[in-house]
Amino acid sequence: MTGPLRDWLDSRTGYRSLVRRALYEELPRGTGWPFTTGSVVTLLVGCQFVTGVALTMYYVPAPSLAYDSVRFIMRELPLGWILRGLHYWGASFLVVATVVHLLRVFLLGSYKAPREVTWLSGLAMLLVILGFSLSGYLLPWDQKAYWATTVTINIARSTPLLGEYVADVLRGGPGLGALTLGRWYSAHVFLLPATLITLIVAHIALMRKHGISGPIEPEAGPGEAFFPWHVIRDTVMMAAVFAALFTVAALVPAPLDAIANPSDANYIPRPEWYFLSLFQLLKYFPGPLEPIATMVVPGLVIGFLILLPFVDRADGRHPFRAPRRVFTTMVIVIGLGVLALTGLGVADSPPPDGDDWGLLPIAGWQIATAEASPCARCHAPGAPAPPLAQMRITRDEEWLLSHMADPIALAPGVRSAQEPAPRPMLSRFKAQAVVAYLRREHAGRAHPDIDPAGKLAALTYAETCVACHKIGGDGGTMGPDLSHVGTRRDAAGIKAVIEDAAEMYGETAMPTFKDRLTPGQIDALTNYLASRK
Amino acid sequence: MNATSETTTGNRRGFLIRVIQTVHASIGATLAFVVGGAVVAPSFSRREKLWLPAGTVPQLTDGVPTAVTLRIARSDGASEMVDRRVVYLVKTGDQLRALDSTCSHLGCRTKFNPDTKQIECPCHGGVYDTNGNVVSGPPPSPLAQVPVRVEHGRIMVEV
Repeated sequence: MTGPLRDWLDSRTGYRSLVRRALYEELPRGTGWPFTTGSVVTLLVGCQFVTGVALTMYYVPAPSLAYDSVRFIMRELPLGWILRGLHYWGASFLVVATVVHLLRVFLLGSYKAPREVTWLSGLAMLLVILGFSLSGYLLPWDQKAYWATTVTINIARSTPLLGEYVADVLRGGPGLGALTLGRWYSAHVFLLPATLITLIVAHIALMRKHGISGPIEPEAGPGEAFFPWHVIRDTVMMAAVFAALFTVAALVPAPLDAIANPSDANYIPRPEWYFLSLFQLLKYFPGPLEPIATMVVPGLVIGFLILLPFVDRADGRHPFRAPRRVFTTMVIVIGLGVLALTGLGVADSPPPDGDDWGLLPIAGWQIATAEASPCARCHAPGAPAPPLAQMRITRDEEWLLSHMADPIALAPGVRSAQEPAPRPMLSRFKAQAVVAYLRREHAGRAHPDIDPAGKLAALTYAETCVACHKIGGDGGTMGPDLSHVGTRRDAAGIKAVIEDAAEMYGETAMPTFKDRLTPGQIDALTNYLASRK
Repeated sequence: MNATSETTTGNRRGFLIRVIQTVHASIGATLAFVVGGAVVAPSFSRREKLWLPAGTVPQLTDGVPTAVTLRIARSDGASEMVDRRVVYLVKTGDQLRALDSTCSHLGCRTKFNPDTKQIECPCHGGVYDTNGNVVSGPPPSPLAQVPVRVEHGRIMVEV
């Protein structure tokens, strides 16, 4: 029934000859499974395009909303978690697939004349794909995004001569912010995709121009048609890789740290695993030697790959026989180096902080959600402000603290010096506790299970200890960090210090709490602290 | 012999083509499901209705619609949004009703005219009486009724 229509379409477009040219190319005899790596890369690029377009419908490239838009995709948008999962894990799969494809081309000597330009266009694509990864992980505007990008831009400063200018252009302004996010987003969704499409078209056109290189030792006899005899191999590989990607995306949700906090001094930025080798290399070249790690070593590796087809000009494609043995050794050395550095980087990783709530957020949780909470007066359905559960944290910490002390002054600092400040609605300590709670809540951390003694400990800590002691990243630094105090002292020892530190230590800045706190408060604190291992 | 081997090759070829088509269609369908679902799903989400306070009965004058603005905070994708809904509260003797101020024609905001004692739409000249019934103009139906009840002296409306 569609026959006449197709005939008409063919007479007007000539699509049949196009399809014939695309599908029925004859491949050299013996072209086998190793030649399916390119199709896998193409599939993954396609996947990234499709999922990326859908993500841009919800993502907002502005520091005030970027994080919340990703949080919306992960938590509220139906199927959003797997959509972002496919895009996030797809990036890793793509880097691996591209490197595997490069290794295949290297091992079978497919880059040799006359295919030098094909090889170069492939290398360019690898760099573009790494550019995608680098620009992609700034976009969620979480802690990792902010700090890893800060490091990346500072690395760019070590570029000889132009370093500062390069860093300024990458940043787009005096500091990391809306201007940076805007240009990295634009690069990620317009510039890099356009470049990649151009390179893919060129790469495939060049591959067709010179034909597939085929097996190392040409086999006698007729070749076989690309379709369906080779396409079936491509298809099987693509199905396997796609199934693996989908499984990973379905089982392991794409991570999202807490919202970027430029004043956080505790966060240790770490890049994605495919940049971990470079990150680890930096540790071995401190100070003035740093450009060796940031410029010289990566430059040598890329330079070697670029020059390879022009240096390796002798006949013979076998990777382990002369004349190619020497190049194979170099590639193996580079590969082992990257693997070893990545491994060392993984081994050096700090343990993940998990869902540590500490006492401050727990105290804030009670203050903010209690029956007579001052927050609920305005943050309620139909009231002047949206309920806390719907709020986005778009202000910095100082604003939030000022707002909690004086909720009506929505622009802190406008009250003149002559006007007396009203009595704070919430003490600074309590406000800090609420901010700590809002950050945990906002990062989607599950609420911990706290008994009444734990709640008492939390409120006591938030009113007294927090000024000097840190637990789980929150608190002052005058006294020691108590996050793991349970490993240093037993309950009796902790109780003795709380009750009368001077008796334990002699002269100390820590006050005596025997008479300031009730026995119930001291016991609750002691039990909690002893459990912090 | 030759004819058989050609048929076998032909069968194999046909089988492979079907496998290729099936696998590619499955990958495409999986992606289409995830991407299509994520793109289309939010279009059909609806806010949960809320009962909100809208003043007290003594504030109302008999037979005169009083416009009340209600603020409804709701999530709006990555952002939060405060919708402002204007509702007329109309007391007639013992009866209290609440009318949505949105014109039933094309959604403009109507306004009570104290001189004519009618509710008028500025866009296309729709006119309603104080009970929300169409008097003249293009509106196809009366103003929508909003559920209303009095609770502890406060008027509550469901929006």
